[in-house]
Amino acid sequence: MTDVALRVADVSKHFGGLKAMRNVDLEIADGERISVIGTNGAGKSTLFNLIAGVFPVTSGRIELFGHDVTGLSTAKRAKRGLARTFQTSRLFEQLTAAENVFVALGGSEFRGASLRVAWPSSKHVNTVNRWSRVERLLDRVGLGDKGSAIVADLSHGEQRQLELAMALALQPKLLMLDEPAAGFSPAERIHLVRLLRELPEEITLLLIEHDMDIALAVANRVVVMHDGEKILEGSPADIRASERVREIYLGGSLDDVA
Amino acid sequence: MSILTKPTDSGLVEPLPVGTPQKSTWQRYRWILWVVVLGAALAFPYVVDRPRFWIPNIGIKSLWLGTIAMSLVFLNRYVGLLSLAQMTLAGIAAYGVGYMVVTLDQSVFLAVPVGILVGTVAGFLVALIAARTKAIYFLMITLAIGQVVYSFASQSIEVTNARRGLAPIPRPDLGVVDFAQLHIFYYGALAAAVLCYLLCRYVAATSFGLALQGIRDSPERMSALGYNVNRYRIAAMTFTAFIASIGGVIMVFDRAQVDPDVVSLSSTLDILVVAVIGGVGSLGGVFVGGIVLTLLDNFAQNVTERYMTLTGLVFIVVLLFAPTGLAGVGKQVVRALSTRRRAPQAPTAPDVPTPPGITDPSNERKQQ
Ligand SMILES: Nc1ncnc2c1ncn2[C@@H]1O[C@H](COP(=O)(O)OP(=O)(O)O)[C@@H](O)[C@H]1O
Ligand SMILES: [Mg+2]
Repeated sequence: MTDVALRVADVSKHFGGLKAMRNVDLEIADGERISVIGTNGAGKSTLFNLIAGVFPVTSGRIELFGHDVTGLSTAKRAKRGLARTFQTSRLFEQLTAAENVFVALGGSEFRGASLRVAWPSSKHVNTVNRWSRVERLLDRVGLGDKGSAIVADLSHGEQRQLELAMALALQPKLLMLDEPAAGFSPAERIHLVRLLRELPEEITLLLIEHDMDIALAVANRVVVMHDGEKILEGSPADIRASERVREIYLGGSLDDVA
Repeated sequence: MSILTKPTDSGLVEPLPVGTPQKSTWQRYRWILWVVVLGAALAFPYVVDRPRFWIPNIGIKSLWLGTIAMSLVFLNRYVGLLSLAQMTLAGIAAYGVGYMVVTLDQSVFLAVPVGILVGTVAGFLVALIAARTKAIYFLMITLAIGQVVYSFASQSIEVTNARRGLAPIPRPDLGVVDFAQLHIFYYGALAAAVLCYLLCRYVAATSFGLALQGIRDSPERMSALGYNVNRYRIAAMTFTAFIASIGGVIMVFDRAQVDPDVVSLSSTLDILVVAVIGGVGSLGGVFVGGIVLTLLDNFAQNVTERYMTLTGLVFIVVLLFAPTGLAGVGKQVVRALSTRRRAPQAPTAPDVPTPPGITDPSNERKQQ
């Protein structure tokens, strides 16, 4: 299919006098893998927050899967199949890793309000199924043995992995990851790339990533942002070859990007 | 609905064996504390020297103070909200009972459910107003609502009978159980308080309760997951209004009347003091807080004229030296004694994947 998963049309965002985003257009087809790169403060996270509905756009329009969602709440957008991670982890600090994912599953299943005891020892079929999904998700991101750890006791890298598990728990159609590899060890980076490449084909991926190797390895299209504007768009090869990108990063190597 | 379906395949979801390493020593032996406390509470009317003084002034009053404070603690611990409207809601429930019994001359069988309903609905309305606000704004809105209710209660002639209040509201003789007898009423209040405690623990352990804790830790994340955060906050506040209302019903029969005092600022502060002494975050500790406050209330006058000063001092000392409250101190002692007992992970059969070891959600968490 070539249906449009996400359309960002002429979107601007001003924070008081600061124009964090200026007339950005972006169209992503179903199943595409897009990396967004740009220096610090370029407006990448702001773009995510606008798409997710954390704050309203100053002008412009956002469509998810063909529906105008510009005025919808974050929760309603999530229910349309959008999942995202946060640049700085927002986890349930006092719950265990497994409970974090359990709660994340509640959002997609619309069963969050259940007044059934949520203990893993529960025999109820729904609870049992949910805990086994928790386990599979934790395994998938490499946290299989950390389920019972309180989040506050997890390392930074483990918290990032948990962010990912919670986003995957929603079984999203559009997955937005904001610097998922920040703080990862080389081994964890390799695991992440493998995981992202193995995502089901129908999942559309929008990735902000510091690590150019990851950004270019995962994407089929790269969007370069600078100073609140989208300045370039192209294949990973184009971006590697681009003089413009080199200029922006002061002639430094691409490893300094983002 | 197929309830209690046993999982058939793979053993993936084998329940955790009893006494998994996740349970701390404190949690494992908590039942002993429970037996001791419940035993003491049951024996209390028969071991005190002056029952007509001790049962109402210390026993019953601690129970309703504790129940109302527990509703505050639940909101604080599991939803991260500090509400000063809980005493007001209990007072509204008490007025509901009073209006039914005194003004409408109805039986207690009708008056009690109506009182609880009125208090709970009032809590829902307060939630509609306050749930969107956070932190200090939430505190101030709930406080302001309390002041509005107080000024209404002390001025309305038709509904609340202004300053004189509604009386008499005698403890009923229900035939089977005669609440007119002091010790029977005490046991009734004790049963209600214990049931409220168990209900709070239960709700906290459900999927709903876990979601509330998610909202406490990160509302942004909950929205991003598709949860309607506002609706959950409203539901939680309505639930705690229900708990507070039960406390209010015990209170109204204990006092045998209801007047604006029950919704005054000083009553609200009493609840806050009880919650802090018991340890904000400790559901059971509120009853310790209730006992301390009632003891001070009754005996501090013998020691010093400056009763309020003494209460204030106890409050400050607790905040300074035991931020988790007096119940928290006991918990810390048990923890300290048991740290060396923290066993390594129990080995599991190699062919059975262990379930993600999730601790019982109702378990004690680190205090923030
Ligand atoms: N909530 C906010 N309020 C005010 N300014 C913001 C807010 N979020 C981002 N900004 C500003 O917008 C600009 C872009 O930030 P951001 O999108 O986080 O950049 P990036 O993720 O590309 O590093 C920065 O100047 C930042 O300070
Ligand atoms: Mg950013």
